[in-house]
Amino acid sequence: MILPLLILSPLILLAALGAVWNARPVHAALMLALALALTAGLYLCIGADFIGLVQFMVYVGAVAVLIVFSLLITRPGDEAEELARRPGSLVTGLACVLPVAAVLMYAVSHTTDLPYGTAASPPLPLQKLGESLFTDYAPAVLAVGVLLTAVMVGAALFARDPDKKPTTPPES
Amino acid sequence: MNVSRKSPDQNGGGQDARATPRWSMPGLGLVKGLVVTARNMIQSYYRKDRMTTVQYPEERAPISPNFRNFPFLCYDGDNPATGLRCTACSICEKECPPQCIYIVLDRDENGKSLKRPKLFDIDISVCMNCGICAEVCPFDSIYMDGQYEMSTTDRFGGLLLGLDRLAKSADYHMKLRPLEASEVAARRKAEEEKKLAAQAAKEAKAKADKEAKAAAAQAAGTGKGETA
Amino acid sequence: MSLLAMSSAEPSLWSPEWLPRLPQRLVEMLLRNCHAPDWLVSLAGYAVAAGTVVAVFLSAFALLSLIERKTLARIQNRLGPNRAGWFGILQPVADGIKMLTKEDIVPAKAEWFLHLMAPILIVVPSMLALGVIPYGREWVPVSLDLGLLFFFAVGTLTEVAVFMAGWASGSKFPMLGAMRAISQMVSYELPLILSALGVIMVTGSLSLPDIVNKQGDFHLGFIPAWNVFTPWGLTATLIFFIASIAEANRCPFDLPEGESEIVAGHMTEYSGFKYALFFMGEYLGLFAISGLFITLFLGGWQAPLPGLTIVPSWLWFFAKLAVVIFTHLWIRGTFPRVRMDQLMRFAWLCLIPMALLTIPAAGIWVFTGGGLKGWLIIMPLLLVPWLILTTVFNRRLASQTRNYTFADS
Repeated sequence: MILPLLILSPLILLAALGAVWNARPVHAALMLALALALTAGLYLCIGADFIGLVQFMVYVGAVAVLIVFSLLITRPGDEAEELARRPGSLVTGLACVLPVAAVLMYAVSHTTDLPYGTAASPPLPLQKLGESLFTDYAPAVLAVGVLLTAVMVGAALFARDPDKKPTTPPES
Repeated sequence: MNVSRKSPDQNGGGQDARATPRWSMPGLGLVKGLVVTARNMIQSYYRKDRMTTVQYPEERAPISPNFRNFPFLCYDGDNPATGLRCTACSICEKECPPQCIYIVLDRDENGKSLKRPKLFDIDISVCMNCGICAEVCPFDSIYMDGQYEMSTTDRFGGLLLGLDRLAKSADYHMKLRPLEASEVAARRKAEEEKKLAAQAAKEAKAKADKEAKAAAAQAAGTGKGETA
Repeated sequence: MSLLAMSSAEPSLWSPEWLPRLPQRLVEMLLRNCHAPDWLVSLAGYAVAAGTVVAVFLSAFALLSLIERKTLARIQNRLGPNRAGWFGILQPVADGIKMLTKEDIVPAKAEWFLHLMAPILIVVPSMLALGVIPYGREWVPVSLDLGLLFFFAVGTLTEVAVFMAGWASGSKFPMLGAMRAISQMVSYELPLILSALGVIMVTGSLSLPDIVNKQGDFHLGFIPAWNVFTPWGLTATLIFFIASIAEANRCPFDLPEGESEIVAGHMTEYSGFKYALFFMGEYLGLFAISGLFITLFLGGWQAPLPGLTIVPSWLWFFAKLAVVIFTHLWIRGTFPRVRMDQLMRFAWLCLIPMALLTIPAAGIWVFTGGGLKGWLIIMPLLLVPWLILTTVFNRRLASQTRNYTFADS
């Protein structure tokens, strides 16, 4: 299992760096899609099939597509490139990222209670994943559902044209 | 002027006035459309009116008798050299709008006109298919043809048609435009018969005159013989 | 690794079911005789299996391009191409030669790398998706436990590729076409996946061979237990079929590539072989999604009557595929193109609610045990909302007053 990790991780890093350092927004978005796709590949290599495919479908197929779609509509052009080169952005970026990275690495390296995670263990069967998701973690799923519904309703309200009167059916 | 016009359904008056459109099963229109195209497809295999493709160049669509495209010269009988109706009067040459006809009159060694063309060239790259030459010809000799496959690779002389390519028999004219050709043939036959009848009457009159003159001469001759 | 597990049941040597396996087994036998190492034998076996699938579907693509033209022609009262060979059978060859010998033009304002990657990235998902469909009894090129999820996941890669094609061409028509194509594909992805959820619930597995195996029963001795013959399955079939037409960018949903509207949409600036790749990707995608449609709803390689199982299973699969593809062509020849707003309205206001309704309907079907009782209970649950959606909302739109303001006011 170490060989795919060795090959994929530098590629993911490079793609992610390309995503944040690329001055042109569309190229950055496509590099982001590449980084997410390679992460999905990493999941597949460690045996988390479901998560890997869902990562691909949701992140690359929906999130990245949405990002590039909004870029297509708004077509930012040169202003985004100007903003990317503002001085001091590197310092603020590192100041945000380094603490989070440190906390994550500490948490991962000190975790001992992982029943599935070594190369020798079989991957989690889909039945068990579904069952635990909808019985043990059901409140979390419901909360996420409520959150997503609120987001959708809010987005629809934002996108509505405030000047247009809603159409009323005729009296007849 | 702000006119508030309701949709036809609510316009009031007549049979189409309904407050709301008549309900029909959703999706039925789609199915009806599919049935129409399926019927088209299946019937195209065995019904002639559902497969109207003419497979050019193996088949050709029949041309209508009113179709005109480039002129041709008409000759009676079998020999184009002797039966050609054209007398090289050059009326068509003068009347042609783009002036695509070139005629040279055939004269004998004394310079007398032989009433036939030595050269008759039509440049069909110039000809605009108007048919004026056919309208003005007094000798029923030039008519509009229906040829449309005249392409050639020779850019300079290939579209210049001479007498050999323009002369076509009266039978061809009859096949191409039966109505017009039969009318022309009937007219020419009537003229021919009239001419023959006039000739016969003239001969009969000349014969009668001769007989009368001979009788008068005989009578005068006998009278003269008695006095001498 | 679970992704590369392969089923091991083999049919008897003398049945015609052997035919799809023949190239793979031949190559493996050959290599084992040469004492090749095991990994090489299995790798070669997989390569040959994949090659068989690709070869079959590429020739099917070539044949389909001709059959489509001839079928559309017959619908339109004319003959199709019949000059290249007997009945035009060499027309795909002529088209291939034409595409290969055309000059490859890349616009000066285009990004050449993305412009080059886009056609490749359009063909790759279709070919990947063709690998998980079961074509015959116990024969699927790659048997995945999550086959259906894999199919949908690679299907979403097509949208990214369409965006790349549209944006990298650097001109207006492709960008407009890409915008329309992406919004259409994203909108119709939802009914597609939601209508497949009912099947997953009833089958209890995401593996496509399992879904087909579960449809092998016969009710009352002669009605096959295909998912289309259940009430929720019928609704889901219709929704999936319409959504698959939209996903494959075919008429009446071919606004992204409508010739009379935006030249060729995201494919405008492509010429020669790249255009042929787009064409191929579209048709292979059509094959893949039709294959999935057959697998999910029409019983896959199962025979329709109990006595007809002597006919090999892969023959049934391709017969059903032919019928589904013919229906696609028939629909293409019949309906006019829908407008963008009609398209969106149809997807979001009609298909998604109906697809969401099939999920509880499938659950109720499982609880009531199916059969006539299930039909009687579920039909009102599905019919009433459909009638409400199609009649009340349409009527409301049709009878609105129109206000005309003339210029001399």
